[in-house]
Amino acid sequence: MIRVGVDVGGTFTDIVLEQTKAGKGSDQDVVVTKVPSTPHDQSEGVVKGVLQVCEQAGVKPDDIDVLFHGTTVATNMVIERKGAEVGMLTTKGFRDILHMARHKRPHNFSLQFDVPWQSKPLVKRRNRLSITERLMPPEGTIEVPLDEDEVRQAAELFKKRGLDAVIIGFLFSFLNDAHEQRAKEIVQEVMPDAFVCASSEVVNVIREYERFSSTAMNAYIGPKTALYLRNLEKRLLDNDVNAVVRIMQSNGGISTIANTSERPIGLLLSGPAGGVIGGRWTGEHCDTSNVITIDIGGTSADISVIQNGELRVKNPRDTEVASLPVLVPMIDIDAIGAGGGSIAYVDAGGAFRVGPRSAGATPGPACYGNGGTEPTVTDAQVVLGRLDEEQFLGGDLSIDAKLARKAIETHIAKPLGLDVEEAALGIIRIINNNMALAINANSVAKGVDPRGFTLMGFGGAGPLHSVALGEMISAKDVISPLQPGITAAMGLLVSDLQYEYTRSVVATLNDADDNTFQHLNKVADELRAEAEAQLEADGIDAKDRRFRKVMECRYAGQGFELRADVPDAKLSKSNVQEVIDSFFDVHKQQYGHAFKDQVTEAVTLRVIASAAVDTLRLKDLPKGGETNPSAALLYSRATVFDDVGAADTPRYDRMKLKADDVITGPAMITQHNSTTLVPPGHKATVLGHGDIRIAKS
Amino acid sequence: MTKELDPITLQVVGGALHSIAEQMGNVLYRMSYSSIIRESQDLGAGLFDKDYNTLCESDSTPMHIGSLPGYLRGIEQSVPLDAWKDGDCVIHNHPYKGASHSPDIAIVMPVFHEGELVGFSANTAHHVDIGAATPGLIIDVPDMWAEGMLLDGVKLYNEGARNEDMWKYIRDNTRVPGLVMGDLEAQIASAELGVKRFKELLELYQKDIVIQATKQLMDYTEKRMRAEIAKIPDGEYFAEGFLDDDGRNRETTLPIKVCVRVEGDGVEVDVTGSSPQVPTAFNVPFDGSTKVAAFFVFRALLLDTYTSTDDIPANEGSFRPIKVTAPEGCIFNPIAPAAAEARFCQIQRMADLVIKALAPVLPDRCTAGNAATLSFAAYSGVRPSGDYWVFLEVNEAAMGGRPMSDGPDTVEELMRNTRNNPLEDLGMHLPLICDRYEVRDDVPPGAGKFRGGSGVVKSQRYLTPGFMTHESDRHLDPPWGIFGGKEGAVGKLEVHNTKTGETRQEYSKFSGLRTEEGDVISYFSPSGGGYGDPLERDPHKVLDDVLDGFFDVDHAKEAYGVVLKEVDDGYGWALDASATENLRTTMQ
Repeated sequence: MIRVGVDVGGTFTDIVLEQTKAGKGSDQDVVVTKVPSTPHDQSEGVVKGVLQVCEQAGVKPDDIDVLFHGTTVATNMVIERKGAEVGMLTTKGFRDILHMARHKRPHNFSLQFDVPWQSKPLVKRRNRLSITERLMPPEGTIEVPLDEDEVRQAAELFKKRGLDAVIIGFLFSFLNDAHEQRAKEIVQEVMPDAFVCASSEVVNVIREYERFSSTAMNAYIGPKTALYLRNLEKRLLDNDVNAVVRIMQSNGGISTIANTSERPIGLLLSGPAGGVIGGRWTGEHCDTSNVITIDIGGTSADISVIQNGELRVKNPRDTEVASLPVLVPMIDIDAIGAGGGSIAYVDAGGAFRVGPRSAGATPGPACYGNGGTEPTVTDAQVVLGRLDEEQFLGGDLSIDAKLARKAIETHIAKPLGLDVEEAALGIIRIINNNMALAINANSVAKGVDPRGFTLMGFGGAGPLHSVALGEMISAKDVISPLQPGITAAMGLLVSDLQYEYTRSVVATLNDADDNTFQHLNKVADELRAEAEAQLEADGIDAKDRRFRKVMECRYAGQGFELRADVPDAKLSKSNVQEVIDSFFDVHKQQYGHAFKDQVTEAVTLRVIASAAVDTLRLKDLPKGGETNPSAALLYSRATVFDDVGAADTPRYDRMKLKADDVITGPAMITQHNSTTLVPPGHKATVLGHGDIRIAKS
Repeated sequence: MTKELDPITLQVVGGALHSIAEQMGNVLYRMSYSSIIRESQDLGAGLFDKDYNTLCESDSTPMHIGSLPGYLRGIEQSVPLDAWKDGDCVIHNHPYKGASHSPDIAIVMPVFHEGELVGFSANTAHHVDIGAATPGLIIDVPDMWAEGMLLDGVKLYNEGARNEDMWKYIRDNTRVPGLVMGDLEAQIASAELGVKRFKELLELYQKDIVIQATKQLMDYTEKRMRAEIAKIPDGEYFAEGFLDDDGRNRETTLPIKVCVRVEGDGVEVDVTGSSPQVPTAFNVPFDGSTKVAAFFVFRALLLDTYTSTDDIPANEGSFRPIKVTAPEGCIFNPIAPAAAEARFCQIQRMADLVIKALAPVLPDRCTAGNAATLSFAAYSGVRPSGDYWVFLEVNEAAMGGRPMSDGPDTVEELMRNTRNNPLEDLGMHLPLICDRYEVRDDVPPGAGKFRGGSGVVKSQRYLTPGFMTHESDRHLDPPWGIFGGKEGAVGKLEVHNTKTGETRQEYSKFSGLRTEEGDVISYFSPSGGGYGDPLERDPHKVLDDVLDGFFDVDHAKEAYGVVLKEVDDGYGWALDASATENLRTTMQ
């Protein structure tokens, strides 16, 4: 069995190949490589990387069985507004729901602000046409029947305008989808080649703006995402890669090309999801189920929390892409503008700031010598002796420490009256503080106590920051994964197939009667049947299918829902209390309060279907058990740490460390694409597969 | 006196404080019950020291930012500093003792560190009904006692024990206890979180360092604000406008006069000459609202968070260079017991007139006339069970054209920044259904090189008989155009009954109107004025506006000198460049 994971990032495309020798399940080889990303068409870089990894591993392209792919193609399309020309049919009287959004402006203290949903709409006003029809709450009864002639005329007009995609979004369609479905049929008759979707089939939930926005997003990225995936498949086939292709989804599951093409909206957070899954998997084989991950790149850092081995999913009220709501399950990942390229500066009022502006890939940090003169976080690491010139990307990239010093001296040290090392330490402290606050916002603020969690920093720069970050947030300890630079690509190989199906139900639970339970159970059965059909189509054996039911609930009268667990058995008077209790617990955890005397209202029912795929296994390292093993020692050099100043600090070659070896700080552990910093007073222990756990000694 | 902190510690402590305030605001709106808090986020939260200086505040709606210290000073008149005990919780809303207005109830908890009172965790939130003369909102009432419950520094908790009698009293004196009590619980949870986080911060850093950091952050914000004021030429700048009426005396318009005096790096906003206080609730509490509006407008004008990349902490430092003068007995500084609950339209106009006064010297930072009003609607009724339902809705309006861009359409402007309510959520829970919610198309927005924003039209239909109170203005004095731009449009309100087919116009503000089944209330908000000469507008943008239905072909020709020709491409119109050039030449 040969499986390949391909993770496309802004600068590099990372590839991991894992080979299981026939007959022996435990004997595996892992080969990793990296090629430059090709933003004009990501599939070029993907194929180049796949061929390269095959060559390195000594296998033929047609030997690959499964290829897993994480891509930013859909997200970039939205950010750069390079999607389809979309038309919309909507209820008469409500043409501008997408134009008004939630009518809140993006800035409190601004007169000149931009309103992105008005200045860069996914569907232009001219292409939003009103249709006579009216459904009434709370049952979805038809007050005014659908005017089919108007639908047909509108479709003809869209056809004449040459639109690529059409969405249908009617008010209250979550109660009754008959009008949307009929309108869809008519549009498809008139425009057989267009990408057409109805709001109730993209996200069948209450709240018109969020549902229409999600549907518009799905159509906006639909045609080009499908084209990209077709191109990718073809390009792979042309190069003899006839593997099954699976695509990473925003919820941390994987899906097929066919499903992704139909429902591309699930792909929007495909990029960063791989890192979190990789973090969870690393935690698993380090026997650590509570992990806070931080994936530090050049311009941003992605933060997520794994609790009891489970990914945390964002509240649907918070899921958005480029300031537009997207009601699809996404891993709860917070991105902040803090990374190696973040620029340090002194502002007009004399305040010392770092980021969110970044030097990016060009010109990059000053030390790259590509014309950058402003100091970055990477320059600060160089000045402090934490990135050695000869070790930077294994020596692939040359850096100039003098340029880093000069940039910090000119822009920070002199204006603030600090010496250069102080200024560099300040840059690191401020950027670490920004990251620590973001971690708190994604943990403490949501009822997670970091003292019971391990901080895992990855991305090339992750392990340079992780011990300091761990201290700032009071994490239990810190893990530097085996391959910090490609944790996200590894994550692709350990994801499960996963689908979610939702429907609004809106019913109070405490006083629910038999009719209500009957309705809830019927909806649950229908959602499960949809899920079964999808897994059947994917060729998953019935015994490998797993299902979970959750109910998004609120206290009657509240506006925000939280996820409660639902028992496997049919809901009835005898077990509904389990749902109410589960909601009580999660409310208490999130807000610090919960109520016994309030009525719990169900808003959305969700069925999550999954199937485990083979997982990546790593070889055991040979046992060492030495402290500061001399065989792995490279050399020593001065490195600056907080409080203690410059100290002579040994460098160890990570590839030569063995299981149970211990390195005492101050020390640096280097490898091709990453450096792990072990500050004074800390101890790093090499774990069974080569991951490193760092704690206070 | 602690010495000046190093810039690194300053950033670290400042960031931590900011994050606490955001978390407090977050818990409050997510946990709350009434849509005015949970959807509209009409709330504020923060931490304060013993001298009532703001340590941090949530970035929720501008109206609440800067109002809490006034509440704390008002509370001190009933609860002196030495009367606080750990675990206490005080509730307060007195409009003449610092409150922004009476429905904005504050919850305040003391923070003790090592046995000593060090400050407060506090928040305010707009409550949907406090038992006033009419459900939800009031306009035509005689005095402040008709505003509902007056809570003047009352202890709701004594050392952790709830005052059950007080709790019952509040429950008994609102029309919608289910919402109000739940919202109070959310406020208490938010304040408790603030207490906890504040204590943790004090354990991590010394108290002196935390206090010193906040002082320096305020100094920093003040310095940035003063530097910008100093760039404005010294002098007196004037602007004036008028309000429709006070909600009772329909024939009398109410003048607003604003004089902005700039001297060096300080500025004074003087509203002398504006209308005397009125006999209805259409007055503005001075400390809690008039001053806050002046602080807001300078921050938005001079420290615009969109055009500046620096993150400047929102704190009282930005208020220090600004003096606000309003004579006692004027609409902006009424004398008790005048009612002063309906105060928003006045301060919107005051803020907008400051922009107008300064526009000649700040052409790159100002806007043309904004809608600068509010449509605050209280829909209510009694269910068959005998329980009240009350729903407060804020309708958005539009902004004036701007130096580099059109005024945003259908958006919350100036002092307000709430979120609308999902129509489907309302439809599922209230005997009220929305029939129309769209960009206003009965009048074009103010023409200009950068046009004004188009207002909104929202129609709500009563499915059962009920009541309505509407707090609004600007049916008479349209938003102005600037630098050659044309004026926008005034608002209007129509009541149409689907059964009788009758339609009538209503005043902008009215109280306790009886509504019948089938009554459709349609509010049309004002549209913004234009910025710059319409003949300089990019003709392609004019074409876009026609294709997108913001105005028609005739208006393109008459107001903008842009000639369009019919084409058969599915869109209908294309630019006739040469005819446009000719027409524009003759129009100049």
